Amino acid sequence: MAVNCYSVPVHWNSEPSLFHGIDPRSPIPLYVQIADRVRLAIATGTLGSAASLPSVRQLAAELRINPATVIQAYRDLEAQGFVEIRHGAGTFVRELAPGRRARERSQQAVALVRKLLAEARRSGVSLAELQRALETELGVKVT
Amino acid sequence: MTDAIHIERLHYRVGNAFEIKDLDLHVPAGSIYGFLGPNGSGKTTTIRLVLGLLRPLGGRITVLGSPMPERHAKVLARVGYVPEQPHLDVTLTVRELIDFQAAFYPRWDRGRAEELVERFELDGARLFGRLSKGQKAKLMILLALAQCGDLLVLDEPTDGLDPVVRRDILSALVTYVSERGATIFISSHLVHELERVCDWVAVMDDGRLITESPMEKLKHGTKRLVVSGAPAEIGNPPFRMLSRESSNGAGESWVVGDWEPEMTSYIENLGGSVRDVIDLDLEDGFVELLRSFRKVRQ
Repeated sequence: MAVNCYSVPVHWNSEPSLFHGIDPRSPIPLYVQIADRVRLAIATGTLGSAASLPSVRQLAAELRINPATVIQAYRDLEAQGFVEIRHGAGTFVRELAPGRRARERSQQAVALVRKLLAEARRSGVSLAELQRALETELGVKVT
Repeated sequence: MTDAIHIERLHYRVGNAFEIKDLDLHVPAGSIYGFLGPNGSGKTTTIRLVLGLLRPLGGRITVLGSPMPERHAKVLARVGYVPEQPHLDVTLTVRELIDFQAAFYPRWDRGRAEELVERFELDGARLFGRLSKGQKAKLMILLALAQCGDLLVLDEPTDGLDPVVRRDILSALVTYVSERGATIFISSHLVHELERVCDWVAVMDDGRLITESPMEKLKHGTKRLVVSGAPAEIGNPPFRMLSRESSNGAGESWVVGDWEPEMTSYIENLGGSVRDVIDLDLEDGFVELLRSFRKVRQ
């Protein structure tokens, strides 16, 4: 019988900062968390056009997650137009239309505020208190 | 999709103390399947039945398309197995054990074995009996992976190991799956580990299956609700009621399974209101499932 099982060494002990703190216990599915991180990195310019994403095998081993989860994240990013999957070559960031990065950043801001508001509601913090805390932190009045 | 392991109405008993009854399991090919349950719930017995090491009293077990235990020789050539307790000869060295195991498997992958010896930092000249617990576990994983099976059956492979060893073992397993597309059936009570890596999960208790579901569905559908004003009798809800308790002042605390956001309307139609929907992680969901299962059986 032919030996059809081969492998290439992978450097798996360095957790890339891009995916640091991915939380399997979170109710947000892992593939969504991964796609979010990549979108944020693209929006902020950390990942520029044509930058390559880690291979499925590499990222799965690094994060110790199911390869299918990484594939799903990359497919979602491809469907949203952020990356291009070239079979056999890898996954690459696409050239984005002007304004898309800025739009993506403002969407991230909205998501952050929603999270903050939900947390505040749950712990019984009022809107006025939240606004005061924000003003103190920023050192400016929010009107 | 075909199943790597398919179990129908499995029945097994030893004496009067313990029995596995009416067990159905479907492990999809290519999945990483987590087999959860408290100690003594029947996980190891089920695994031994799957591998043909025990004979069932009734039911049907199909592994990689062949019936077990009838076709065990054919099936086991394609299955890597890591038992709960180390089963290797303590008087052989790491190198001797690798060579010994290699002789049994025509698909043995020398390259992978070498790579894993290096990656796991194993000393080939050391006697098995002199290895630490973590090194023993790594060697057993190495032996299971190098035989290039299409199915890996792992019985609590990381139980009692330190986080660094657990991390190395999980990374090796994940790498194997991405390269080979093999199926992994992994039993554990380390819920967080399975939460990370599995796409399917089953929960056993007292020889019975409590649930079998895609991981996302189980995690997503299990919620704690804060409900007020709901009547005692709620009919036949579209969700699974796992527990219902009055909490101090703020209405009731419900734990539900198979939950979808639009199901709040069912509770509202009964005159109740859902004040909050709180996500539970796999461990919380697991504990609630067990609690409700045991309550029903009492």
